[in-house]
Amino acid sequence: MSEWCICSVFALQKVSIIIVIFACVVCKYIIYLSEVQLNETLAHLKTESETLKSKLEEERAKLHDVELHQVAEKVEGLGQFVMKTRRTLKGHGNKVLCMDWCKDKRRIVSSSQDGKVIVWDAFTTNKEHAVTMPCTWVMACAYAPSGCAVACGGLDNKCSVYPLSLDKNENLAAKKKSVAMHTNYLSACSFTNSDMQILTSSGDGTCALWDVESGQLLQSFHGHAADVLCLDLAPSETGNTFVSGGCDKKANVWDMRSGQCIQSFETHESDINSVRYYPSGDAFASGSDDATCRLYDLRADREVAIYSKESIIFGVSSVDFSLSGRLLFGGYNDYTINVWDVLKGTRVSILFGHENRVSTLRVSPDGTAFCTGSWDHTLRIWA
Amino acid sequence: MSNNMAKIADARKTVEQLKLEVNIERMMVSKAAADLMAYCEAHAKEDPLVTPVPSSENPFREKKLFCVIL
Repeated sequence: MSEWCICSVFALQKVSIIIVIFACVVCKYIIYLSEVQLNETLAHLKTESETLKSKLEEERAKLHDVELHQVAEKVEGLGQFVMKTRRTLKGHGNKVLCMDWCKDKRRIVSSSQDGKVIVWDAFTTNKEHAVTMPCTWVMACAYAPSGCAVACGGLDNKCSVYPLSLDKNENLAAKKKSVAMHTNYLSACSFTNSDMQILTSSGDGTCALWDVESGQLLQSFHGHAADVLCLDLAPSETGNTFVSGGCDKKANVWDMRSGQCIQSFETHESDINSVRYYPSGDAFASGSDDATCRLYDLRADREVAIYSKESIIFGVSSVDFSLSGRLLFGGYNDYTINVWDVLKGTRVSILFGHENRVSTLRVSPDGTAFCTGSWDHTLRIWA
Repeated sequence: MSNNMAKIADARKTVEQLKLEVNIERMMVSKAAADLMAYCEAHAKEDPLVTPVPSSENPFREKKLFCVIL
């Protein structure tokens, strides 16, 4: 009796081992099959996206009946272009990274690598306010439309708003309000039409719209595959869109209300450092590390002009249009500023003066001058 | 497995985005270029950097000496 028991126990053990092994093999086969299926779906989606991309290229090419500079042949050439440094703003202790004009056409805010944010009167070159940020590399700064506050941020991953008081002795840092929080450095910020909302872009690959009073995130914009380096809001008449450029070589146009990317342009060969809307809002220019500036028309949905020369090999750090949109100013890493005729595609002038790379460039609100900031610690006003 | 699922989700988003972009309305470059030119011509007179204004009207070009009394 006991022998039979022992034998049956052994037999049961062997059978159960065999069943377990069989079950493992079946499970692995099922997992393998589902992986194969997932890979097939992935491959199918990839081919679909390739097909769509070439269809997009086809559709865009259909409209390419003429070049901008051909259409512009009948436009009068520009006269002699004479611009010089009219003011030099000295006071930063390290590289100037960003600047912005106030709507009163005379005040300027600038930020630098050493953490200082300074508000200047550009007519007299006097410093009106100075704030020391708790972080270095303040890569973004912006003036509020009312002229009563400035926003800035950088390696602290935040965008902070400082109300400017008339009392010069007041400690501005005490009234600081932290508005935006990103998970990587802040690369650019801009107030929308009012002091109430700020748009930011970050090294974490996203842009975001924030309410200044509450610090609440109103909308976030996902779509870039790498750091977003710059942004620009459409001129107020043309509606709620903005354009952003990033290290993924793409310039994306976004709808601010829905968070949707409406159009995307990928013709640059390197990081896009700066984007700026054409004054009518129908086009935008971009400047890139590939040493070219390009003009993209939003209604034709394609690139319509490239501003480049074989002799220019250094990247463009920032671009801006003159008031009428006829001139495009580009600040380059070879310390110069190149002025381009937007319509004809030719270079009108090259300006020298800075002793290190030009990192930021903005035309004044009334178009009478433009200001550049540089790694040589100074800002220059040209007119 | 989850890596593949994430990749598929991304790929689906890209495909949806591309579908949206392919279907937008576009304009011929000749018309768009003509509009850009028209804007430039219309605003050229107001642009102080394109049609130079006399130095007295440009606050930065005025040759004034500023005495800063400290």
